[in-house]
Amino acid sequence: MLLNILGVTCGYGASHVLKDASLQVNNSDFVGIVGPNGSGKSTLLRTISRVLQPLHGKVLLEEEDIYHMSSAKVAKKMAVVTQEQGLDFPFLVRDVVMMGRIPHLNRFEREGLKDQEVVARAMELTDISLLAERQVNELSGGEKQRVLIARALAQEPRILLLDEPTSYLDLNYQIEIMELLVRLRRDCGLTIVMVLHDLNLASRYCDYLLVVKDGKIHAGGTPYQVITANMIKEVYGCEVRVECPNSIERPYIVFYPEEHGAIRESRERWVHVVGGGGTGVGLFRNLLKSGWKVSTGVVNIGDSDWQEACRLGVSMTAAPPFCNVGIKEVMQNKEMMNQADFIIMAGIPFGTGNLRNLECVLEEAEKGGPVIVVDNIDICERDYTGGKAEDIYKKLLKSGARIVNSEWEAIMLMGGEDVNAI
Amino acid sequence: MIHNYIGPRSAIFPVLFIMLLVFFVLGVSVGAVSIPPLEVVRILLKHIPGFNRYLTAGVTPEHEIIILTIRFPRVVLAALVGAGLALAGATFQGLFRNPMADPFIIGVSSGAALGAVTSIIVFSVLNISIHFGIPIFAFVFSVMTIFMVYNLARVGGKVPVMTLLLAGIAVSSLLSALVSLCIFFSGNQLHQVVFWLMGGFSGRGWDYVYMFIPYGVIGSTVIFIYARELNAMLLGEEPAQHLGVEVEIVKRRLLIAAALLTGACVSVSGLIGFVGLVIPHIVRIIFGPDHRILLPAVTLTGASFLVIADALARVVIAPVELPVGIITALIGGPFFIYLLRRQKTAMF
Repeated sequence: MLLNILGVTCGYGASHVLKDASLQVNNSDFVGIVGPNGSGKSTLLRTISRVLQPLHGKVLLEEEDIYHMSSAKVAKKMAVVTQEQGLDFPFLVRDVVMMGRIPHLNRFEREGLKDQEVVARAMELTDISLLAERQVNELSGGEKQRVLIARALAQEPRILLLDEPTSYLDLNYQIEIMELLVRLRRDCGLTIVMVLHDLNLASRYCDYLLVVKDGKIHAGGTPYQVITANMIKEVYGCEVRVECPNSIERPYIVFYPEEHGAIRESRERWVHVVGGGGTGVGLFRNLLKSGWKVSTGVVNIGDSDWQEACRLGVSMTAAPPFCNVGIKEVMQNKEMMNQADFIIMAGIPFGTGNLRNLECVLEEAEKGGPVIVVDNIDICERDYTGGKAEDIYKKLLKSGARIVNSEWEAIMLMGGEDVNAI
Repeated sequence: MIHNYIGPRSAIFPVLFIMLLVFFVLGVSVGAVSIPPLEVVRILLKHIPGFNRYLTAGVTPEHEIIILTIRFPRVVLAALVGAGLALAGATFQGLFRNPMADPFIIGVSSGAALGAVTSIIVFSVLNISIHFGIPIFAFVFSVMTIFMVYNLARVGGKVPVMTLLLAGIAVSSLLSALVSLCIFFSGNQLHQVVFWLMGGFSGRGWDYVYMFIPYGVIGSTVIFIYARELNAMLLGEEPAQHLGVEVEIVKRRLLIAAALLTGACVSVSGLIGFVGLVIPHIVRIIFGPDHRILLPAVTLTGASFLVIADALARVVIAPVELPVGIITALIGGPFFIYLLRRQKTAMF
């Protein structure tokens, strides 16, 4: 473990800005810390960078408490690029980068050939070799930021901590800096921990995201797990849509204009989807596009439908993975079904885990509820329960539920269009 | 791209050193009795082992006595004090990243002054010879002042620049009031106190030089050692910490060293303003902010400056001597204003 942050609580004076935060960082990780203003994300970074000693908890750098190490020893392993940096003095660029060698030099040691090589390489990597003789106070924002990164690299660190390195920069510089960091991680094996304001940049470039809210760690995980419409609603309190065009791209956030959100809210037509295993991926989107309020359940946490629902802000009943659906989830799911105008039973495979979902749908159908069954694949081919699911499913087909051949037909049916359904 | 970048810039040191030597000789040669510069050089070389055998001719014995016992120590002291004040000023400015910081604003000079004035009065009341009492009191008071200011300014284990400057200004006005109070009650010692406060080198002999040297050497050595750290701290205290500088320790040591220098300067020469403020500024504008260049350059320039100022103080309305503080303010003030006008941006 390169960096291990164990339950740190810290603050300024009496107020705790950060409560019981933990984070583990391994070699060559690319970690982003995100959260609203004042959430404590910069405080967390200050604690990690040996500036703000935590009241409780520890920060271990290669299993050693950084607050028991000398600054120079920490500086050889960890470099920091902060937001406001006093590059207002007419130092030459090369001199500023050379300052990165301070932790490596003894008190009376002059900068030697090796130091100059390291500095030259740091400037090459950050593409500022041509600026070497310029004065730092005359550089543009993006150039200054690269000088600071070069100085950090001259420390030959294993970890680079950055506090919002892209804020106040133009779009091209933002991307330039992020691409530089990606390159450094790839080519030099550098570990990167950065505080970021821009969630889309964070999602695009970081492998692991930590969401901080009100001084607490709200969530942590890959961008796919963390960047969801629900998370943004909980943490930032605003309605957004999270798009992810394909599984290679990272999720990104699309903002709803105000009136768009209002229309969504006013619409009372609600459809509940019983799906799972990826069926929702297309269906949720098509339903939302046709103007339906969508809910789903019960889905397993981590399932692709769960991810998609999170992303799109679809309300749902979720259960832990690899478990049979419990009573509590069933109750919640039934509540949703009762309130919905339609219930769609997607053409999903059945196992012991989701048999309860099928039973619930049958109950609703027998009560005369508005159930639509998408019967697109023969039940024999998607029954993994040894016949139990098939029995229930056959009952469902006879229960008075509407049967359609495709998801699209279901949507047309709900819209009141004439479908050649059975 | 690889080359030693300190090299070319350090070429300025011989130039500054020669400049100091020239001013030094001029400083020794002018005064109530004018001695030609060549004779000054001869007399000085005569007392350097190895040179004396070539230079016996053309030296008047009376001139030799004047130079060795009166002029020479006085000019040496002026050079030392100029170097000390300028170096202390450069340190305070670098430490606080504030071009306004100097020994006066931090309150150290006022502390030293109060110490000196107190000692003059106390010793005269007790009827003791005051000669060596002044520097000790001045030094103790200046170190006490810097600690008082430092502790007043401390917020949660750290000393932000803003609170330090405010505390310095507050303490300094308090101390100035106390000095005024002392003057008010000084009675018979009024003339002596006021004369000392005005500052100058008149009548300072070798004993003052010897008194200054230990403090001066210790203080300036510490400052020179931390030149690299001062550079890093110019980028801000947090970035310096990230570069492996133990900021709080370095800051405390530098504050003590600069207080030591200031106390030593004030105790031997009284209050001489403008040197600690103007000289580092001028040097920084010309040579840039790198303390490894700046500190030695400031030392040499400060020495030259006060040697000239002292020489002028002696000749402007000779045979009467002006307080040297008036000269430093008269030279430094306009030059400072000119520089401010010319370079309104980026004073550092």
